[in-house]
Amino acid sequence: MHIVVCLKQIVDPEVPFHLFRIDPVAKTQIRGSHPLVISSYDEVAVEVAIQAKERFGGWVTVASIGTKETIQALHQALAMGADGAVLLCDPLFEHTDSFGKARILAAALRKIGDFDLILCGRQAGDIEMGLVGPFLAEELGLPCATLVTNVVSQNGKIRLKRPTEAGYEVLEVPLPCLATITNDESNVPRYASVKGIRAAMRTPIPIWTATNLGLDPLMLGKERRIEIEEMWIPQREIRCELIAGESAGERARNLALRLRELGLV
Amino acid sequence: MASILTFCMATHLSIPRSSLELLAAARLLSQQLGGLPVQTLLLGAGVKEHALTLIYHSADQVLLVDHPCLEHPEDEIVLEITQKVVCQFEPRVVLLPHDELSGGHVGPRLAYRLRVGIVTDCTGFAVRNSDICWLRPVYGGKAMAYLCTRGPVQIATIRARAFEPLSTDPFRQGEIKEVKVAPESFSTSVTVVERIEAAEERGLSLDRAEIVVSGGRGMGSAEGFSVLHELARVLGAAVGGSRPAADMGWVPHSHLIGQTGKIVAPKLYIAVGISGATQHMAGAGSSKTIVAINKDPDAPIFKLAHLGVIGEWEEVLPPLIRAFQEMYSR
Ligand SMILES: Cc1cc2nc3c(=O)[nH]c(=O)nc-3n(C[C@H](O)[C@H](O)[C@H](O)COP(=O)(O)OP(=O)(O)OC[C@H]3O[C@@H](n4cnc5c(N)ncnc54)[C@H](O)[C@@H]3O)c2cc1C
Ligand SMILES: Nc1ncnc2c1ncn2[C@@H]1O[C@H](COP(=O)(O)O)[C@@H](O)[C@H]1O
Repeated sequence: MHIVVCLKQIVDPEVPFHLFRIDPVAKTQIRGSHPLVISSYDEVAVEVAIQAKERFGGWVTVASIGTKETIQALHQALAMGADGAVLLCDPLFEHTDSFGKARILAAALRKIGDFDLILCGRQAGDIEMGLVGPFLAEELGLPCATLVTNVVSQNGKIRLKRPTEAGYEVLEVPLPCLATITNDESNVPRYASVKGIRAAMRTPIPIWTATNLGLDPLMLGKERRIEIEEMWIPQREIRCELIAGESAGERARNLALRLRELGLV
Repeated sequence: MASILTFCMATHLSIPRSSLELLAAARLLSQQLGGLPVQTLLLGAGVKEHALTLIYHSADQVLLVDHPCLEHPEDEIVLEITQKVVCQFEPRVVLLPHDELSGGHVGPRLAYRLRVGIVTDCTGFAVRNSDICWLRPVYGGKAMAYLCTRGPVQIATIRARAFEPLSTDPFRQGEIKEVKVAPESFSTSVTVVERIEAAEERGLSLDRAEIVVSGGRGMGSAEGFSVLHELARVLGAAVGGSRPAADMGWVPHSHLIGQTGKIVAPKLYIAVGISGATQHMAGAGSSKTIVAINKDPDAPIFKLAHLGVIGEWEEVLPPLIRAFQEMYSR
């Protein structure tokens, strides 16, 4: 089974909010000195793909629309255990919306050709629209299973596990298909091994441009249907009343009293 | 019709709270757009009785698709029906709940098929020169943005608890219209082959609890969580957790609180060993009172909580539990 994981590189979403800055004119985050990482659900998707490969055989390719710096994210996925990577990089790709991104990824997947399963994160950890996965399935005319956590079995069709309110369900989907990935305790991303890191550095990463992908530059620009109009950082600090007390025990008792005073317990 | 269409996927027994929240949002939007009628698509098996509830909560017209095959509908069937209804009634705005079914599946695919934009996970909107700008958190809630879409239909998915349901008005009049879409004629390539209900869950349901006790990575282990369960038992509270806690299996994933988990708004939220990431607080930020227990005085949660106790939970929780026990035994 050939699994292709679409991953996005983003500025570390765990940056605490007091260090978070935006450019209100460009309507985007200012990176500053924060590291770039694989978007968290995409890293989970890489883990799901590698687990499926380990259980059922096959290989894993990772693909990303990004810049030269994104090679670092692709190397990380390779070091985790992916077998191949491709970078989709062109200035024309930069100002596309979710429709454009899906179109670019679809072109790349057609060029890759022999895939069985495409995995996307449920949403990217920056703007978090959660659109590119389902859009890509539509663009390629593939069955689409959403918010699944791992591949249960594979036999011409695949079975995917999906958590539900009450427990979980198993979905059966014919191949090829696309699935969007969410996290659970079974798919926490692994760390790359030293051996993996060395192998990753030796794996060549082809770079595909709009021309390579046969994408019409005029079409890409015209596709925008979703526009960010305005962006700002809300003021949200609350003045926190710290409970006094010499010892932790005293503070705990004072908290209980204060909560009762406020009529909350 | 230039209407606002909302969505209600119901069971025979109940309608989701989200459908009433959508109606509140739709009514507000309708006022700002000069009084568009509000339609609700009611889907399910044996759900006809719920139509009146939707009308009492301000639907002008209920479009009913009631069919036995919608008992446990596949996502794609719901998508096909919704697409058909949207094409038939041509609403100007479609409001869907931002849940697994609509936010994760139906909304995005519907938008793609209609070649129109969509804004997911909205918490509000503003009308500017008769264009709708959708308000939503971005960057895990660290920033807010207004987004606009292009196309004859506007589609948005609305975050849970962003709107309060309107109070019910049993004198409201509205129309119920059965829509003929023959759900049984649609096929789906993705089928559910197994449904597993988890064993008896510990404690109260998160949605209804007045008090929620929540633990994070700082709880350190499943054993740590049993102390939280003890606290919850004394308070009659439900237990939730942050993403690391859920990933570690200390709480079931269905009890994950946050932007990508449950959104709760109890009167009291007690966060223990949770740093206060915006993605987590998105699920608890509307709680009336937030209490933080954390050993790190610089943890961001002390800027987001109303009451704070600095200390290790190992030292704070046992006396806290005892204090509540004494309080309640008196
Ligand atoms: C796209 C995206 C979506 C996300 N969605 C969610 C979501 O829905 N829900 C969610 O929760 N997270 C979500 N996250 C993750 C989120 O960004 C944070 O990583 C996560 O909430 C941190 O969890 P935590 O506070 O438990 O852990 P940490 O940030 O590691 O904090 C642990 C805290 O425990 C304290 N502590 C340690 N030991 C003790 C002790 N003995 N006593 C008291 N305190 C102690 C520490 O001081 C620290 O503040 C999401 C992230 C992304 C990128
Ligand atoms: N630039 C990108 N390159 C590759 N995959 C992407 C890119 N942007 C989004 N995706 C995929 O689409 C998913 C949803 O992204 P989004 O719609 O932006 O929230 C992500 O989790 C990725 O799997």
